[in-house]
Amino acid sequence: MLYALMGLGLSLITGILNIPNFAHGALFAVGAYFLASTLHVVGNFWLALVLAPVGVAVLGLAIEYAGIRPLYRAGHDYQLLFTFGLSLILSEGIIVVWGPIGFSQLPPPILRGGLDLGFIFYPKYRLFVMVMAGLLVLATWLFLEKTRYGAIMRAGIEDKEMVSLLGIDIHRLFTAAFALGAYLAGIAGALTAPIRGLSPGMGVDMLGIAFVVVALGGLGNLLGAIAAGLLIGVAQSIVAFYWTEASVAVIFAVMAAVLLVRPQGLFGIR
Amino acid sequence: MSRAWLAVFAAVILLPLAVRHAIASEIWIFAIFGLGLNLLLGYTGLLSFGQSTFFGSAGYVSGYLLKHYGINVFAALGIGVLVGAVSAALVGYLCVQRSGLYFIMLTFALNQMFYFIAYQWTTVTGGEDGMPGIGRPVLLGVDFRQPLAYYIFVALLFLVSLWVMKRIVESPLGKILQAIRENEVRAQAVGYDGARLKLLAFVIGGAFSGLAGVLYAMLFGIVPLEAIGFVFSGNVVFATLIGGSGSLYGPIVGSFVFIWLSESVSVVWARWPLLLGVAFVIVVIFFRGGCVEAWARFWSWRERRRMATRLAS
Amino acid sequence: MRELTRRDVLKLGAVGAVGTTGGLGFPAVVRGQAKEVVMLGIWPFTGAFADVGPILDRGMKMALEERGMKILGKPIKYVTRDSATQAGASTRRVEEAVDGEGAKFVIGPWSSGVALAVSEVAKRKKVLHYFSGGTEDISGARCHRYSFQWAASPYTAAKTDVDTFMKANPKAKRWHLLVADYAFGWSVEKYIKEVGKTHGIEFVGADRHPLGEREFSNYVTKAAGNKPDVVAMVNFGLDAVTAAREIFNFGLTPKIPLIMAWSSGVEELVQLSPENRENIWVGSNFYYTAETSVAREFARDYQAKFGNPPGYAPAAAYGMTRMLLHGFDRAKSTEVPDVIKALEGIEVNDLVGRMRVDAKTHQTLRPFFFMRCKPKAAMKNPMDFADIIATGDTPLPAAYAACKDIGSF
Repeated sequence: MLYALMGLGLSLITGILNIPNFAHGALFAVGAYFLASTLHVVGNFWLALVLAPVGVAVLGLAIEYAGIRPLYRAGHDYQLLFTFGLSLILSEGIIVVWGPIGFSQLPPPILRGGLDLGFIFYPKYRLFVMVMAGLLVLATWLFLEKTRYGAIMRAGIEDKEMVSLLGIDIHRLFTAAFALGAYLAGIAGALTAPIRGLSPGMGVDMLGIAFVVVALGGLGNLLGAIAAGLLIGVAQSIVAFYWTEASVAVIFAVMAAVLLVRPQGLFGIR
Repeated sequence: MSRAWLAVFAAVILLPLAVRHAIASEIWIFAIFGLGLNLLLGYTGLLSFGQSTFFGSAGYVSGYLLKHYGINVFAALGIGVLVGAVSAALVGYLCVQRSGLYFIMLTFALNQMFYFIAYQWTTVTGGEDGMPGIGRPVLLGVDFRQPLAYYIFVALLFLVSLWVMKRIVESPLGKILQAIRENEVRAQAVGYDGARLKLLAFVIGGAFSGLAGVLYAMLFGIVPLEAIGFVFSGNVVFATLIGGSGSLYGPIVGSFVFIWLSESVSVVWARWPLLLGVAFVIVVIFFRGGCVEAWARFWSWRERRRMATRLAS
Repeated sequence: MRELTRRDVLKLGAVGAVGTTGGLGFPAVVRGQAKEVVMLGIWPFTGAFADVGPILDRGMKMALEERGMKILGKPIKYVTRDSATQAGASTRRVEEAVDGEGAKFVIGPWSSGVALAVSEVAKRKKVLHYFSGGTEDISGARCHRYSFQWAASPYTAAKTDVDTFMKANPKAKRWHLLVADYAFGWSVEKYIKEVGKTHGIEFVGADRHPLGEREFSNYVTKAAGNKPDVVAMVNFGLDAVTAAREIFNFGLTPKIPLIMAWSSGVEELVQLSPENRENIWVGSNFYYTAETSVAREFARDYQAKFGNPPGYAPAAAYGMTRMLLHGFDRAKSTEVPDVIKALEGIEVNDLVGRMRVDAKTHQTLRPFFFMRCKPKAAMKNPMDFADIIATGDTPLPAAYAACKDIGSF
């Protein structure tokens, strides 16, 4: 489910802004670190969980406004150079601010421990994350499907010129899309912190997966990103159970296999 | 002979006097790697973020043969070029159908796949430990273990590569590739098979990467795991962009700047990737076109100023 | 000329409070001067293990400073290079330091893969190389005359882990193993199973996970399904920390004990919260409460200087440097072959207790520590992680030794 969340955010950004966002993993890591710090300050996990991703969204807003906006006409190579540079700055910045050594973040007391489901003992926090991520995906989906603004965003993926011809400020749309993508990466990071802990390299680990999810789902295809995120998560669990050594490689194997059969991705049209 | 060639020759001769032979060799190896990428990036408009796939694969295969079967240097190089080309054909086959962002992400993801294969296949590649113990065989009585001898060998191969690449980009094929970069639909309308030509460019780029990969393996006596990692792919893209992807000579300048920077700055501040990130951002915002263009701009600015002063007097 | 500028650059680095060099006290010494002894610390200042580089550097420097930066009356020049945890970069930089700075004694780096590359350089350039860490090859299949291994043999570790744990928990006979999937993990696993037989341990499951794995839930549910009495892990760094956290999240610890068979100790434990650590048992090459006079003084001085107790990383750097200096003392010479000959078979009481270097394999024969983590209530301070409950020093049986011929100079 977390993969779906990451993929959805990246898919939004790549779909609407048409830029390769190599900083997506770094935003994920920043989300986790923001959670730890706000939790430290406000002392309430739920408040921190609300605030941290908003912080990442604001950061995304600033990045889009200051850095990416001048680059829409620049070609993918320079956009890539920029987002990669940004990713270096963010992850090195994490080391400068929070130190190079990782640490643990416990879930809130109410979600510690687990439920005995009879055949398996499952941590409460993981169940919470599953539900939470599911709700977020659903909420994003409803937002894009049912609201006016969401409709504009979807239209932005389909045909930017048409949207701007209709008198909609395309720049504001881009900024909003980037901020929303950053928000989703940030909250994925924040939710992950109590499970995987925090370390400066956590973003890079996630970036590759997010790209695979987007490529699999079809570029700019939001439903595809969700489905691909789930597919990869499930495939990884199954393989890890029967053939543990291959659990990382399977992500890429699945991708290669799907792309051989359907080069445009699972749900891709372009 | 043009001014650029003179500059290249001068650099080849002067570089080993300024820096250690191993670093000098590495700069030219990286330049060969960059030349291959630039055929895709600069001339065909394909941003491949997975060039280390071919670099690393060639290094592993030739390294393995050198290590266990003691094959001839030229055989190793030939096999490396072949492996680079074949692996590029495989990856290219999957990728060239797609364009833009999709292409970038596919090359990246496939690069990751090769990386994990190398990571896991420890019996052959050594996994994280890398594949060490690769010798530099004696050739025609010349002992390549001498750093200078090996440097000269690398520099000569670099010059040959540069000449070949120049011929390629100035050939009809090079022109067609540029036409595809400018407008693929039009190129196709005139009767060129865009996908096949892109695949061809991909294979040629892979062959250059393969050559660089084998030279790299022989230079350090080891194929490290990072030689097939995505950071390596990124580095060559960034070196090329810093140098300037619009020019044949861009990647050469870029590889020089990149390797020299990473060697000197890393000693000063451990958080140097932060500076690297800042440098990328600055290049993007102020110097799109890289060093070569910045130099050209500076040159024309000076010319204009000289003209202006001459006119004024 | 170039040497001068490089050194100036290094000075800048020291001011920037990062990789520092002992060379600072010696302004621009003429290169290649036979009177000074140049030692190189190749540590990861950037890259995957950027966090450990600076503390490794501290350890080596402390050992040198204890001798007043002098050995046998000659000044020691200490230089550092960034390994970046990349074999290529390390190879290049070590070669450069040997050729350019005249370094003859190399210590480091941190990760085993890079160490094997550095070991190759040492062999080629005929310089002495000391390393501590998780690879059997330096004193095994790829041993040669110039490289030494400081960390205990995986057999010593496995034997200490299993014997001590079984003594404390004789009834815990169902073990589940979780092993990092690469050569060193396999060797420790093999030895744990071997030693386990003598205790009648039943291995109900053994899973291997790829290096760099971050999603352990499947491994943990699988382990839980086997209903083991004990989970034992052979993995390192973030893999170990992430896995230990999940084992806690899934409610296995503290109900059943978790053994981290080959851990760096402090560096890993500090990343877990006290709740996570309960009922974790740890095998390590060093822990700062070690009962030796050298360790006591080292821990005290280190604490005074840096405000926290030393972990395995600074201790290993410190310990290796001390062994090397013992070698000089015994050789009464600063020439590489003499020091190597002196180190072969040397026997000293040092950082972790009685230490001996096996002349045939260049393996340091030494005690290995087994600790138990303290519950939160028993911790006297946040860094008071564990008690040492035993040490063991059974060397690798000759039948397993992969180093058949250490070779010549």
